[in-house]
Amino acid sequence: MKLLLVEDDLEGGAYLKRALTEAGHAVDHSPSGREGLRLAVTESYDVLVLDRMLPHVDGLTILRTLRASGVEIPVLMLTALGSIDQRVEGLEEGADDYLVKPFAFVELLARVNALARRPPARDAPVVLQVGDLRMDLLKRAVTRGGARIELQSREFQLLEYLMRHAGRVVTRTMLLEAVWEFHFEPRTNIVETHVSRLRSKVDRGHGVELIHTVRGAGYCLRGPE
Amino acid sequence: MARSISLRLAAVYTAAFALAVATLGATILAATRSALSDQFESRIGAESAALVQEYRTEGLDGVLQAVRERDRTPGSLDYGLTGPAGPLAGRLAGERTATGWSAVQVRRRGGRSETVRLLTVDLPDGYRLLIGDDLGRIQALDGVVLRGFALALLGVVVLGAAGGYGLSRDLRRRFAAISGVAEAIIDGDMGRRVPVRGAGDDLDHLALTFNRMLDRIAALMVSLRQVSNDIAHDLRTPLTRLRQRLEAGLQAGDEDQRRQAMERALDDLDAILETFAGLLRIAEVEGGARRVGFRPLDLAAAARSVVDSFAPSAEEGRRALTFHGSGPAVIEGDAGLLTQMLVNLVENGLRHTPPGSAVRVGVERQDGCVTLVVTDDGPGVPPDERTRLFDRFYRLERSRSTPGSGLGLSLAAAVARAHGAEIVLGDAGPGLEARIDFAAGP
Repeated sequence: MKLLLVEDDLEGGAYLKRALTEAGHAVDHSPSGREGLRLAVTESYDVLVLDRMLPHVDGLTILRTLRASGVEIPVLMLTALGSIDQRVEGLEEGADDYLVKPFAFVELLARVNALARRPPARDAPVVLQVGDLRMDLLKRAVTRGGARIELQSREFQLLEYLMRHAGRVVTRTMLLEAVWEFHFEPRTNIVETHVSRLRSKVDRGHGVELIHTVRGAGYCLRGPE
Repeated sequence: MARSISLRLAAVYTAAFALAVATLGATILAATRSALSDQFESRIGAESAALVQEYRTEGLDGVLQAVRERDRTPGSLDYGLTGPAGPLAGRLAGERTATGWSAVQVRRRGGRSETVRLLTVDLPDGYRLLIGDDLGRIQALDGVVLRGFALALLGVVVLGAAGGYGLSRDLRRRFAAISGVAEAIIDGDMGRRVPVRGAGDDLDHLALTFNRMLDRIAALMVSLRQVSNDIAHDLRTPLTRLRQRLEAGLQAGDEDQRRQAMERALDDLDAILETFAGLLRIAEVEGGARRVGFRPLDLAAAARSVVDSFAPSAEEGRRALTFHGSGPAVIEGDAGLLTQMLVNLVENGLRHTPPGSAVRVGVERQDGCVTLVVTDDGPGVPPDERTRLFDRFYRLERSRSTPGSGLGLSLAAAVARAHGAEIVLGDAGPGLEARIDFAAGP
């Protein structure tokens, strides 16, 4: 994938560029907001990783300008630690996701991947299917190999998110934000507990495991190759 | 001195009073003059009418006699009777005036000259009667009035200047006291306060407000210093540990050990960052900037959702987490913050109780009040330690071994305060009860 990284911290930006390149992405790094905006408008990227705090032209202004001129590139906003309002502000201006600095690289990678292949919202599917696991979003029914699986509402939401991001790594924080709407880290391992319950309902008794734990990163729902 | 507000005010007021006194004087003078002049004319008019009547009844001889008689009487008016051939009688007989009112200079005994205002009346057969009086009395009264008001004017100016000076000196002293205190505080003496005279006047009010502001600032500074100390103290331990881990990693012989040390160091770092995030979040909530985002929300539903999310984990830790409520309980608030408060209270209950305990979350609506109660049946907290639980980084002795930042309840308390409520800790007999009364929403 082709990524644009706008980050004024040269050292941090270079590190992220190297790591993202190693993960298989083509990355352009721009340390200035003005240059970043020019690149975002003239070149074609799959995802824009945008630092909120930039000298001269800040991230929010770039985002606003892009959205006003009809550029619909997915944007991951990087915001400073400890500011709830900045997240809301960023999302209101049209950011697709946000990440609080400092973050683990796997978190950034997972979110970039999640954004890139996001299907257009207009033709949202009614049925999600991964391997022999099938979710009917209208009837809110889940089956595996034809056998019905009873899920509680939170488990349903969790599975839906995993299925929508099938084949991609989903971090604990992404799940907390998307399924629980927690924008903070609880001390209790509620994600682990719910995933393990979900796993016991979805995978137990089936030869092929669909829900995988990715060590040090999160989870991944993946069909048999 | 010229810049002193009080002195300038005193000068302006003195000038205004002086002008008022002068205007009053001029008005009284004019009124007095007009009244005296009317009186003068009517007296002379009446006299002339009497003498004309005398002429009609008694003839020329009668008038002549009357004029001579009156002319001799001391203190009387001035008279004159003139015939076709010349003066006949009276001091004014020699004056040649036209008929009606006029004024002439008359030489008195002793050589002094006086202005006499007189009325000349024509009698039949070429005789003329003159009656007048000098203006000395009116002029004397003028002098009295003028002198009186000049004195009053002088008094006003002197009193105004003296009063202004006194007032200005008093005000300057009190202003100097206030700015002196401000200067002392700028120099770092935070304990100074403005003296209050006790008169209950405007300046006393100002001083009291000023002192209240200083008390508030001092309290904030104390709490800020406390927080800084707490942060320094509570981060020193994890930072030291982090440093040790990194050192151990550097010295480690094989790759596996090094990797392990690095991973542990990252965990330590995450814990430190979490503490930072917690502190910043408390600061943000206490700043109150989020109040604009308040919306009506169902606290019972939020609490039920949190309980549903945490019940499986609680169960794994062999604790029972249950929700009790009897329907919607709407309050005005920030859903994100209230969820975090609920999570912190629930986690607090789950973490500080032994396995086998029960944690109950209840939300009830009653009489315009929505009450949230989180109780556990654990060991509870001694009454004298309960309020300290809200202090940042405060942890009970027995909790020191369990991981935790000691910020959970501080943040919960900050969220409650941001919603105009307060967490009251009590005895659940056995266990701890946390109760929050919110004002019910629309």
